[in-house]
Amino acid sequence: MIELIYSPNWFYGKDIIIDIISIFVLSLIAYFSIKYYKISKNKQYLFFAGSFISIALSFLFKVVTNFTLYFNIINIKHLGLITMTYNTIKSSNILSDIGFLLYRLLMLVGLFMLYSTYSKNKKINNILILYFIFVLAYFSKSAYYVFHITALIFLFLITWQYWKNYQKSKIITTKLLIYSFCLITLSQIIFIFIGLHTTFYVIAEIIQLLGYLILLLTFIKVLKNGKKKRKK
Amino acid sequence: MARKRERSDIILDMLISIQNKGGRIKPTHLMYKANLAHKQMKLYLEDLIEKDFIHKIKDKGYGYIIITDTGTKFVEKMRQMKEFERTFGL
Repeated sequence: MIELIYSPNWFYGKDIIIDIISIFVLSLIAYFSIKYYKISKNKQYLFFAGSFISIALSFLFKVVTNFTLYFNIINIKHLGLITMTYNTIKSSNILSDIGFLLYRLLMLVGLFMLYSTYSKNKKINNILILYFIFVLAYFSKSAYYVFHITALIFLFLITWQYWKNYQKSKIITTKLLIYSFCLITLSQIIFIFIGLHTTFYVIAEIIQLLGYLILLLTFIKVLKNGKKKRKK
Repeated sequence: MARKRERSDIILDMLISIQNKGGRIKPTHLMYKANLAHKQMKLYLEDLIEKDFIHKIKDKGYGYIIITDTGTKFVEKMRQMKEFERTFGL
């Protein structure tokens, strides 16, 4: 049987809050990126916004699925009836299968889109990679760590790109962005081991939260710096 | 080789030049500050007036260009956009 819940009992709901914060940060950046696209008509902004929307949606599916699962567990505990428990689990399994599949799929598509914003890959390569993402998202149902390893690779490549960018620009906001993506990448490394012990899930979620909070701080700093007057 | 200035860059340069002069500037000064040819500047000025980013006024017989609130807000938005662009390497 495939394990669906990696969180310890006491952490139920808290991980949902962490994911909601991540959705908020990602949506905020996507919203501003769309706003800037309307001014500049630069398609890179649109692509960038698309990648953040995809990742935000993936978290949304994770939240909804986890919420359904946690709610059902509470329900089962409360009722304590074997026949009703069986039916609840069966129906929630189908929902969670679809929910987690969409979570994995949209997360990998989003990360790939973000990576593509910076890479100069040819179109055919992109189509091939998208195909592999679809296959991988589906089959990683039985081997969750394959999904986390793939996300880790994309995140590493994106962070590396930000590092190269920082070498050129040397601006503090890019440095913060690197810290934020380093933490999000680190959370994926820890997510690989969630099958070993539930504590890994808690640690990974907290690190992910720190990563997205730094991303929010970076974005606030970007807006603040933009307001400052600079003499030309 | 230096990158060719885009239209949005030129508009931003013009508006920042006005701001740096305390919100009003003589047209000839603006032309030098924004590094534009006379014909080019005339076209940009018409566009900026139409967008309500600037106004033309007369003071003691001299013509001035002043930046409006809409223009100031646009500069702020553009600066934020440039900062966003630099941070995320877009």
